[in-house]
Amino acid sequence: MQIWLRRFTGLFSLALILTLMLSACGPDAGTQNTSTLDNLAGGGSITKSGPPPFLLEVWGYFVSGFLWEGAWIAVKITVCAMSAGLLLGLGLALMRLSGLAAVRATAWFYIWVVRGTPQLLQLVFLFDALPELGIKLDPITTAIIGFALNEAAFSAEIIRGGILSVNRNQSIAADSLGMGKFLTLRRIILPQAMRAILPGVSNDTIGMLKLTSIASIVFVNELTFRAQQIVGQNFRFFPVFIAAGAIYLVMTSAISLFQAWLEARYDLETDRTQRKGANLMARLTGGLIGGWDPAPPAEPAPPRAGEDDAPARPMPVPRRQLDEAWLARIAAAADVEAPIGEPFVVARNVQKAYGGREVLAGIDLTVNRGECVVILGPSGSGKSTFLRMINHLEGLDWGEIRVDGHTVGYDYAAGRPRAVRNLAAAKAAARIGMVFQSFNLFGHLTALENVVEAPVRVHGIAPAEAESLARELLSSVGLDAHTEHLPHRLSGGQQQRVAIARALAIKPRLMLFDEPTSALDPELVGEVLNVMRRLAAAGMTMIVVTHEIRFARDVADRVIFMDEGRIIEQGPPEQVIDAPVHERTRRFLRMVEQAGTDDEAMPA
Amino acid sequence: MTAKGWTSAVAFALALGVAGEALAQAPACEPAKLATKYPSLAGKTIKFGADPQTPPYTMRDGADFNKIIGADTDLARAVFDCQGIKYEIFLGGWSGLLPATISGQIDVFWNNLYYTAERAKQVDYVLYMQAGTGALTQAGNPKKIGGLDQTCGTTAAAGLGTVEDAALKKEDEKCKAAGKPGVTVMTYPDLAAGIRLVQTGRADIMMTDLAIVESLAIDNPQTYARAFKILTGFTIGAAVKNGNDELLKAIYEGLVAVQASGGQKAIFQKYKIDPDLQVAAEIKKD
Repeated sequence: MQIWLRRFTGLFSLALILTLMLSACGPDAGTQNTSTLDNLAGGGSITKSGPPPFLLEVWGYFVSGFLWEGAWIAVKITVCAMSAGLLLGLGLALMRLSGLAAVRATAWFYIWVVRGTPQLLQLVFLFDALPELGIKLDPITTAIIGFALNEAAFSAEIIRGGILSVNRNQSIAADSLGMGKFLTLRRIILPQAMRAILPGVSNDTIGMLKLTSIASIVFVNELTFRAQQIVGQNFRFFPVFIAAGAIYLVMTSAISLFQAWLEARYDLETDRTQRKGANLMARLTGGLIGGWDPAPPAEPAPPRAGEDDAPARPMPVPRRQLDEAWLARIAAAADVEAPIGEPFVVARNVQKAYGGREVLAGIDLTVNRGECVVILGPSGSGKSTFLRMINHLEGLDWGEIRVDGHTVGYDYAAGRPRAVRNLAAAKAAARIGMVFQSFNLFGHLTALENVVEAPVRVHGIAPAEAESLARELLSSVGLDAHTEHLPHRLSGGQQQRVAIARALAIKPRLMLFDEPTSALDPELVGEVLNVMRRLAAAGMTMIVVTHEIRFARDVADRVIFMDEGRIIEQGPPEQVIDAPVHERTRRFLRMVEQAGTDDEAMPA
Repeated sequence: MTAKGWTSAVAFALALGVAGEALAQAPACEPAKLATKYPSLAGKTIKFGADPQTPPYTMRDGADFNKIIGADTDLARAVFDCQGIKYEIFLGGWSGLLPATISGQIDVFWNNLYYTAERAKQVDYVLYMQAGTGALTQAGNPKKIGGLDQTCGTTAAAGLGTVEDAALKKEDEKCKAAGKPGVTVMTYPDLAAGIRLVQTGRADIMMTDLAIVESLAIDNPQTYARAFKILTGFTIGAAVKNGNDELLKAIYEGLVAVQASGGQKAIFQKYKIDPDLQVAAEIKKD
């Protein structure tokens, strides 16, 4: 509970820090000689008392208050301009990724102009041309705005690169959970894009800190300009410039250290358990800056010897069975209108084409509540596309699909299906769980965090309640020992079981499985099918696209065979699998059977 | 004489009398009368811009880097104090000063600014000093360069785009036309960089403002010497944006008073600038 509380207060503290930082960004009287500070300049007295040893002189300038005041101005400009520039850059990056050509073009144009013109001229323009329009900026504000606008253009491209580097299956998974665009961006995409973004942004920060010297053209008295002024007064080039260089080195080293620390935070290779409670920033910001502060386990799971070294081991025997009573409760949920055994998913004349190529040629299908339907068919038969249209991951071209009497995010006012404005909310409200072939677990979140993400962020469940449910679900799929592990630490079978737990956590009314075992090693298939069997037994309405003939025969209430975008044949498994009517079905089954025998014949 | 003629004569006499009285008035500092003499300046803080890396005109005080000193700065202070004008100094790179004056970000540009007809199109001047060009060389003037006409075959440094830069390039052509080795001209972005060229021997001479050269040679006799000097005929002035006439007038009248009291010459002496470089205050527009 307190973890979640911390996470929310984290947002608040981050806002507070940003506000404080930005409130310090105003004009600075210290830039003019109105400063009443006493002389702290070591250099001045040294020049008068005869030439001291060279290093002592350098040290005198290095500790000079006059130079450090300039350094502080450089830091202030850099911090303020980077903060504002990164925010603007994020906006520009999103504009560059927009579906609207005009929005993309606007961002492109801004970046083209700002990146393509000298920054010195931009500063002079801001300072000396804007007064024509009645806008008179003071020197520090000019520098901050000038550097921020420039950084926005550069960081936009870095951030865009980071966003593009995140696997698309991450946003598909978020979409299936009903997470909206911005929630997905904030919670799923950006944290994973950080690894790609950080090095570039750190480069920019160091570059900016050093480049603030060009702002002397608009009367900003920062470090380099001050060093030049001392040289202009006493012509002691080497000691003054060496001291100024050393001050820069101190500041840029601090940035490099901060970069290294941030990179460690966002490094998925680092074991989560090593990071826990280790850093101040995460605690200050509730995990918002310092990465994902995970919920500490009620009882910390001691890593078992060899466990992580051999992630592909067969699953440990589940300690207890999936809570059938709980599943039955979901299956019998009061907010489902259709009675058990009555039509629940109804598809009518569903059509879909990609660029003129027909994928679905009019599918009619009804799935009753509590039924487990398996769809078989060769690759390219359109079965996965159809499955993704049920929860609106893919849009309908024509026809309709109703789940419990409602379309999932469609508006038929214009006669043909059109996505509603708030599609994410419609998807969330439909509560359709989906399990993917490649698991699509959120790579930066632990098993537990993967499971609690949607209940808390989308459905507004109290974090403590969601966490306790998540633990129960993970435990029931045999993963008690792995709640704190990141997906890449888990075997494929374990990942798929986490994915099932994640889908179940939204208390789904319907479960969709898209070839859930196709990416698994043969010995791991069983553990996933086992969980699915128990789900079906509990009365969950399920539509499963798979090549597992045995599963279909044992578990399915009905088997559908699809080919070339059409339903060729359907009926109970003993009919479709054991006595298929159509030649195409027979051919497909023969091929699958052949492949299955080959697999079994192969040495393990 | 007609009635009309009489009135004209009286008016002429009156006008003469008024003018004579004004001319007879000794220029004096009257800081308390600011509001009556220059109403638009009352209660206003004038921003004057300078680049603190141009000794001896504007520079940091070696004993206290937070203080700005120099001949231009001290003269500006004397003039503003004389008129009771409140002011603050804006410190920035020299090349940013003129744009800032024209845009109104600062009110006065008072830092070793030569009068040129081109600049006068956008700013108005109050002239106060004659400019000279000096050539800085290593102590002892090893190549015995005694004038611009003796620079053939040498390496000479000048600020980028300055009048000295142009003069050296012209001299280079002259040398070559006479069948002599030319002048290798090196341009530098800031004064300190130019001085380094002489210090390290990369350049034989550096040509820049005479007062800068002289103060360097006087302060560092072991290192530098003045090779030669040229009085170029340029004049130096404080500049305000076109149309800022009341400020221009206040500066002019203040300067007249400071010059009359010997204040400007004292300041020049303090910074080892030849007092004879002073010229009588003069307003110059385009």
